[in-house]
Amino acid sequence: MQQTLEDFYKVIRAAGINVSPSDTIETSRTVALVGYSDRSILKNAFQVSLAKSETEQDLVADCFEQFFSFDTFSAANDPHSNNTASASDEASEPQQAQSEAPQAQSELAKMLLEGDTASLAIEMKKAAREVGLTDIWFFTQKSLYAQKIMQKMGLRDLQNDIAAMGKGDCPSSIAQAGELRNAKEFLAEGVKDFVEQQLSMYGRNATRNLREDHLKSSKLSNIEQRDFHVMHDLVRKMAKRLSTQYSKKKKQDKRGQLDFRKTLRRNVAYDGVMFETYWKTKYIDKPRLLVMCDISGSVQSYARFLLLFLHSLNDVMQRIDSYVFTGNLIPVKDIFEKYPVEQAIDKIMADHGMGGSDYGTTLLDFEDQCMDAIDNKTTVLILGDARNNFLAPRTEVMQTLHLRAKRVIWLNPEPTTFWNAGDSVMYKYKPYCHMAKTCNTLDHLDRMLDDLLKAATS
Amino acid sequence: MKELYKDKFTSVDDIQQRFEAAQYICSEQIATCVYIAHNLQKPVMVEGPAGVGKTELAKTTAQILDVPLVRLQCYEGLDESKALYEWKYAKQLLYTQLLKDKLGELLEGASGLEQSMERIHNHDDLFFSEAFLEPRPLYKALHEELGCVLLIDEVDKSDPEFEAFLLEVLSEFQVSIPELGTIKAKIKPLVFLTSNNSRELSDALKRRCLHLYVPYPDEKLESRILTSRVPELSDTLRKEVVSFVQQVRELDLKKVPSISETIDWAKTLLLLHSEQLEPAMVKQTLNVLLKFETDIDAMGDHLRTFINKAHKRSGR
Repeated sequence: MQQTLEDFYKVIRAAGINVSPSDTIETSRTVALVGYSDRSILKNAFQVSLAKSETEQDLVADCFEQFFSFDTFSAANDPHSNNTASASDEASEPQQAQSEAPQAQSELAKMLLEGDTASLAIEMKKAAREVGLTDIWFFTQKSLYAQKIMQKMGLRDLQNDIAAMGKGDCPSSIAQAGELRNAKEFLAEGVKDFVEQQLSMYGRNATRNLREDHLKSSKLSNIEQRDFHVMHDLVRKMAKRLSTQYSKKKKQDKRGQLDFRKTLRRNVAYDGVMFETYWKTKYIDKPRLLVMCDISGSVQSYARFLLLFLHSLNDVMQRIDSYVFTGNLIPVKDIFEKYPVEQAIDKIMADHGMGGSDYGTTLLDFEDQCMDAIDNKTTVLILGDARNNFLAPRTEVMQTLHLRAKRVIWLNPEPTTFWNAGDSVMYKYKPYCHMAKTCNTLDHLDRMLDDLLKAATS
Repeated sequence: MKELYKDKFTSVDDIQQRFEAAQYICSEQIATCVYIAHNLQKPVMVEGPAGVGKTELAKTTAQILDVPLVRLQCYEGLDESKALYEWKYAKQLLYTQLLKDKLGELLEGASGLEQSMERIHNHDDLFFSEAFLEPRPLYKALHEELGCVLLIDEVDKSDPEFEAFLLEVLSEFQVSIPELGTIKAKIKPLVFLTSNNSRELSDALKRRCLHLYVPYPDEKLESRILTSRVPELSDTLRKEVVSFVQQVRELDLKKVPSISETIDWAKTLLLLHSEQLEPAMVKQTLNVLLKFETDIDAMGDHLRTFINKAHKRSGR
């Protein structure tokens, strides 16, 4: 039974729930306590001891239903088993008469002929364990594992039997060989179903992880529209992680200055002897972030994902101001708050997108609208390619910004070698940025923001 | 350390029955969880919306096991001195004043600082003994002779520091007091932690607990709860009330009514001698069920349809 439990933990892990060794020990104790007699109690026991949140409880319930279902061979088998039974009945008479006719020798053949689905299922599960089916990861491994299981169950003997019985002249043997051939097909079908079902349990995460890894490291401009929702999940996860990591309110207690008034008031009861001290607490400010995102034609393919990221950041961080620009600077905080993500992005792209970018105008706008709000706690993040269409770059605004803000960071989707080419004015802005880097995959973005927030909170 | 309570739960069914006798109708999942917690002595983390009976679960368990309930209400800024123990400073101060003379006697004949110190040392740490200790809930819970049910209410409201402190208490059932040493539980208390998910709790804490999620009850369960809690309610009215509340829960509200509100509402209707749900009466008493003005406004259009449906459900 221990093996079964361990397999079940594997399924749970594959479903994305973290199960630590101590969890498994505790759960095994729990299971030993409640026993296997009552299915729903067992399920509840798994739920309370393995899950750590509401959604995980549902996941555990799903996994339980899937894992502890014993319907292999049952659905497809009904007509077949009748068939076999009647066939073997008929066959039994003449077989006794001609005992020298070749008979089914292997265990598997006997089981198939008797239509003993229960032992078949048990044999199959045993074989599956021996070949390590729980390690199945990808759909490409399906037929390999099915074949391995069939071999373990004694496919070779079965085939020998069929061949031997088909050779003889005895009509009943030949009929039985045909019967067995059908049964083999049926078995193969059953095993394939079983493997598929197991794959959906054990391989659930692996396939997804592979796809997500791929998406994380591919260029944002190459990602297709249909992967948008996967990206959305990814980005949201990333933003959530970053924000929990860095937006934590750090309270500094019992250090710094003594708050004399409060200390005195507290210690009136002790005749003014200061037993209880009260310290002035200092709160570390949460980072304030101002993000400007270029959505002009030249960065169009990136813009959607940058906006996606911006939206997610808006969800998880409180002190963030977001703007988009092609020419004029447009605040989008309201739009992000009002609409769900895809709608918001579509709306922004439709209303303000396209056109050639004009960084000069943007920077002048920025000076008008935002410069007063920039202080030494603000980090300014600019996402854009700095392709200015040969207009005035207005570097003087960048200079002021550089002096006022805590950090100015420029993330450019183009590789560094292109920064000087064509109408790019990146090299003019670069001296006024605390950091200017290429950023065109999700991994880049993640790493950049990690650095960024680390600096902003320290 | 003794292991078990005088009173024991023998099976999941047993729990359900005894809870029912104590007017707490629990689902099989809740019963299973209590059963496991009781037998394996693991803390239970109870989550769920406000008013579904999380706190009540701990109370009822204490009542059935016939042990005291020790309650620790968490809030921001809660620290060890309020949760575990504190020295009675005032008493210490008073005693030093009163015992000044005695101290003089004790030190008589001692010459020099060193000798005086020596003598005082021989008399133990008188002022840091249990007599001067103000026990707080956690300390009390560990000290109960017959075990107890410890309810740590709204643990999500406490600071992360306090949560870390709880880890030792919950896994070892012991605490360290610098002046007195490590104190172990006489009988491991049965611990319930409740949380409204106002912040994500640490994995370390979650790992040590069984996780129980108490959702809003379905129609059948709610009806049974009402029967048990408000037995005077007529069959028809009960069905109508339950059906109505279930429908209200489908709406997009700021605060969805939970069981406690249903019970209150049923009691209100009973007090007003209603036989069935009437639109006027419902309108007047809606504030028992819904706690926000905007929610009551939102109900406006649906009121009549809900009542009609409720009438149909009750078979009229």
